[in-house]
Amino acid sequence: MSGSSEGFVRMRILQCVVLAVFLVIVGRLAWLQLFDSRYEELAKANVLRHVVQYPPRGEVFDRNGEYLVQSRVCYDLMVISREIDRRGFDTTRMCEVTGVSRERLVRELANARMRPRAPRLVISYVSKEDKLRFDECNFRGFFMIERTVRRYPREVGGNLLGFVGEVTSDYLKRHPDYRPGDYVGLSGVESAYEPLLKGRKGVKIQEIDTHGAIKGSYMNGRYDSLPEMGHSIVTTIDSRLQLLGEELMRGKVGAAVAIEPSTGEILMMVSSPTYDPDELVGRERGNNYMKMLYNKRRPLFNRAVKAKYPPGSTFKVVQGLIGQQEGVLRPSDHHSCHMGYQAGRLKMACHAHSSPLDLRFAVATSCNAYFCYVFRDILDNPKYSSVKEGFDVWKEYVESFGFGRKLGSDFLDEGNGYVPDRAFYDRVYRGSWNSLTVLSLSIGQGELGCTPLQLANLAAIVANRGYYYIPHIVKRIEGCDSIDARFYERHYTKVDPRYFEPIVEGMWRGVNVGGTSTAAQLDGWDVCGKTGTAQNPHGRDHSTFLSFAPKDNPRIAISVYVENGGFGASAALPIASLLEEYYLTDTIRRPELLEHVKNMQIHYPAYDR
Amino acid sequence: MTGRGIRMFEGVDLWTVLLYAAIVVAGWISIASASYDEEAAELFSLSHFYMKQLVWIGIAWIMALVVLLLDERFYHMLAYPAYIAGLGLLLAALLFGREVNGAKAWFELGAMRVQPVEFAKIATALALARVMSDYSFSIDRPGDLMKVVWVICLPLFIIVLQNDTGSGIVLGSFLFVLYREGLNKWLCIPVLLIAALFIVSFLLSPMTLLVILILVCTFSEAMMNGQWRSRIVYLAVLALLSIVLCLVMHFVVPGKLDLYGSLLVVTFLSLIFVAVYAFRANLRNIFIVMGLFVGAMIFLPTTDYIFNSILKEHQRNRILSFLGIVSDPLGTDYNVNQAKIAIGSGGWTGKGFLQGTQIKYGFVPERHTDFIFCTVGEEWGFLGTVFVLALLCLLILRLMRMGERQEEPFGRIYCYCVAAILLFHVLVNVGMTIGLMPVMGIPLPFMSYGGSSLIAFTILLFIAVRLDASTRQFSLHKF
Repeated sequence: MSGSSEGFVRMRILQCVVLAVFLVIVGRLAWLQLFDSRYEELAKANVLRHVVQYPPRGEVFDRNGEYLVQSRVCYDLMVISREIDRRGFDTTRMCEVTGVSRERLVRELANARMRPRAPRLVISYVSKEDKLRFDECNFRGFFMIERTVRRYPREVGGNLLGFVGEVTSDYLKRHPDYRPGDYVGLSGVESAYEPLLKGRKGVKIQEIDTHGAIKGSYMNGRYDSLPEMGHSIVTTIDSRLQLLGEELMRGKVGAAVAIEPSTGEILMMVSSPTYDPDELVGRERGNNYMKMLYNKRRPLFNRAVKAKYPPGSTFKVVQGLIGQQEGVLRPSDHHSCHMGYQAGRLKMACHAHSSPLDLRFAVATSCNAYFCYVFRDILDNPKYSSVKEGFDVWKEYVESFGFGRKLGSDFLDEGNGYVPDRAFYDRVYRGSWNSLTVLSLSIGQGELGCTPLQLANLAAIVANRGYYYIPHIVKRIEGCDSIDARFYERHYTKVDPRYFEPIVEGMWRGVNVGGTSTAAQLDGWDVCGKTGTAQNPHGRDHSTFLSFAPKDNPRIAISVYVENGGFGASAALPIASLLEEYYLTDTIRRPELLEHVKNMQIHYPAYDR
Repeated sequence: MTGRGIRMFEGVDLWTVLLYAAIVVAGWISIASASYDEEAAELFSLSHFYMKQLVWIGIAWIMALVVLLLDERFYHMLAYPAYIAGLGLLLAALLFGREVNGAKAWFELGAMRVQPVEFAKIATALALARVMSDYSFSIDRPGDLMKVVWVICLPLFIIVLQNDTGSGIVLGSFLFVLYREGLNKWLCIPVLLIAALFIVSFLLSPMTLLVILILVCTFSEAMMNGQWRSRIVYLAVLALLSIVLCLVMHFVVPGKLDLYGSLLVVTFLSLIFVAVYAFRANLRNIFIVMGLFVGAMIFLPTTDYIFNSILKEHQRNRILSFLGIVSDPLGTDYNVNQAKIAIGSGGWTGKGFLQGTQIKYGFVPERHTDFIFCTVGEEWGFLGTVFVLALLCLLILRLMRMGERQEEPFGRIYCYCVAAILLFHVLVNVGMTIGLMPVMGIPLPFMSYGGSSLIAFTILLFIAVRLDASTRQFSLHKF
């Protein structure tokens, strides 16, 4: 059979079989090695561990260069189970030095044993002092890695500065450039300037083996990068004023906002109750956060930019301005008022004062009836075919003062406030309403809702005689020539500046000649002010005060709002007055008043049920 | 005659020896890379795998010399005693051996482990060559074919009992040799098909299996003998009769006999007629096909049993994951997945000697033994793997060439046996690292770490070289 042609054919066929087998293998190899790039990635995923180097967040200063927020170094205690001394170590000493509880240490060591060569976190937020003591003890298998956390040297501005926390899964979905475990500013300045403050993460690429043990750096560190610290920010806040504001508002619920009228810079922003921002840092953060979350007075709610309060009599300022611009009111116009305004069955009460009175005196003494006339004249202006059209015009004016909309400040969670529109009343009154129906708007009551920031802005507008800069909190950013362009732009209201003079005059008289605000008088300073007492269906009246000083070239415009504080003059006024005094003169010459206000506790049945 | 020294190497095929040496060196480099440890203090300490392997290579080369020194008639003579000794060793391992990875297939000699299967392969190849080179042997005669089947199946059976199925199946590769020696291709093809059927048998219903078997057997028989018409009639009658039987039984004793049972009964009854027909028509190869069919019918139902009872959990999972039925990248698929990652990340030229991260940091399991090819793939890339495969391919083709130029059938058959064993090892070993084959624990010839495997393959190869050399000596001296 050998050598036969049959055998030769079969040999050829078998050679083909051999070649075919090798071709299939080579083809498969070509696919794996040359065309399918997946495996290269998978190999890298196997062997490379990207160790993130967290950058310190940018620091925050007040307008005078004092630290508001500092980055503080702290350490995470890590362990590699395999490298622990086999004879054991002094666990008592370990607990004592690093502050970790024994249960936690035992639990984490048990977890670490699952992957004995991989580093594992035992406890975070170890302080620098503890770290030094730890270094002396020389525990084998344990080591510290550096992280930074926030620190608040002045202990002010909880809601204003905001807090930093680990990213949530929700946030990750919207911001794909973040990774789980990253920290992110969640409110206030921290969230508003997050992109600047966060800095850039560095990365160290390490090679690991199949057990997770580190074998060295990848490509001698060619692809490693160092973390870059975030930009630091100088805010417009005056930290001493802020501190005083927080002290004065203690025991009251409400907000106080101060603005520098000539620039729109926010000098102070207090939301009360506030909290010590340090409480939201470190090991106790979770507990403290939950405690605040369930506190009925809601310390985490930034009332200064979010709360909607009825402005009360302070709103009369706006009515007077609109009336003049619309040509239905001259400053010299007199209206009579005998304990109130009456039209048909509707009666709006007022307090005792002389009658008749002109615009300046009406502002100073806060006459309800006067502004009822003004408001009705605006709405019932025969220029417009109907009351409703008049109402639309009025609403446009009001919005030009920044009410009913976001001002566009750098607080991301700024509230809108609320100014009702025609459609709202059509719905509520089924289309049949007139200027009498909505008369309560004339004195800032009714459906009107303003944020304390909007009210402070109103004070700034009056102080500037007709324009404002968008209130903002950032003064300078390290490494940037300027802040956002919108903060340099003057915004005029729809009321001509010349109509402001009688109003300013009225506010000055209210403080200095005789009116509702005489307690706000400061020797040597022309303070202007307007009280407000907002009726409130839920309890005592809210107390509010609007003020700026001095009258010419004003340096500070302020609005204080104290929930359930009673008359404007009783709670809000002294707070605003003391703040003005402190800001303008750097001293307080009324220590009794200061003590009185600090100790004033207001009872809140609605919150503390 | 100028002395024994010259005569010894006269006629030795230099190509084969060079290819062998190149593969061994490539293997050693891979082992060195796979087992090199930066942190180990002594580079040349014998505790390293690569240093141990160096010793084994030395021993293997001495063995190769010894094999070349012996007279070629000695191997002819030794064939049966070696075969019996091989069977004895396998049985001894089964009875007294040590269990490693679930297979009771190892002897332990001090610190060394020996797998008798490696040597049983040589013995079986020699015995097969001896049987088939017998003067009166004809592969077309069923009786002679049965002898061959016995020679192959006896050791295979013991190896399967050892639970070392992977090594056992290697002996199945002798089909390659049988085909060269004239076995009808219409017997080879159904055998391959049935082998494939075994792997997937537990996926199919018994009915489907039976129908496929009947069709395959009838078809291949028809391809051999022609007369398609009567075969088709035969199939039609089978179908009709079984349906009738099923219906009748349904009315007489309902629920006793379903369609599968009826078909089984009818088919086996029909075998009597087929046998009579074959006898009268003097078509002896029908008996072989019948034997194949009956054998398969006995074995197929047992595969389910084997799969569920004999195979270990991990072997079951390997087959299931290979067939894509279950996928579990961290569990069963882990080995193959990591092997593919290592090879796939090599790219064109690889990462360089000692630079393969997947190898160095231990992601590939068994990286110096069964998965040695991953080292080649990762560190030397596509060029490296093609180079190594080309060496192996050339060696196999060279062995076939050597076989063809033998004057004696004994030498030719033996050379083909060696080629078949090598081809099967390469296909399964490399195939499993790149996901073409299920994971079976068989080494890559001449490359995987391990003394007994390297020595056994060396002896296997050099007997072929020796047989070839003597043929050439004669032809050289003739002229």
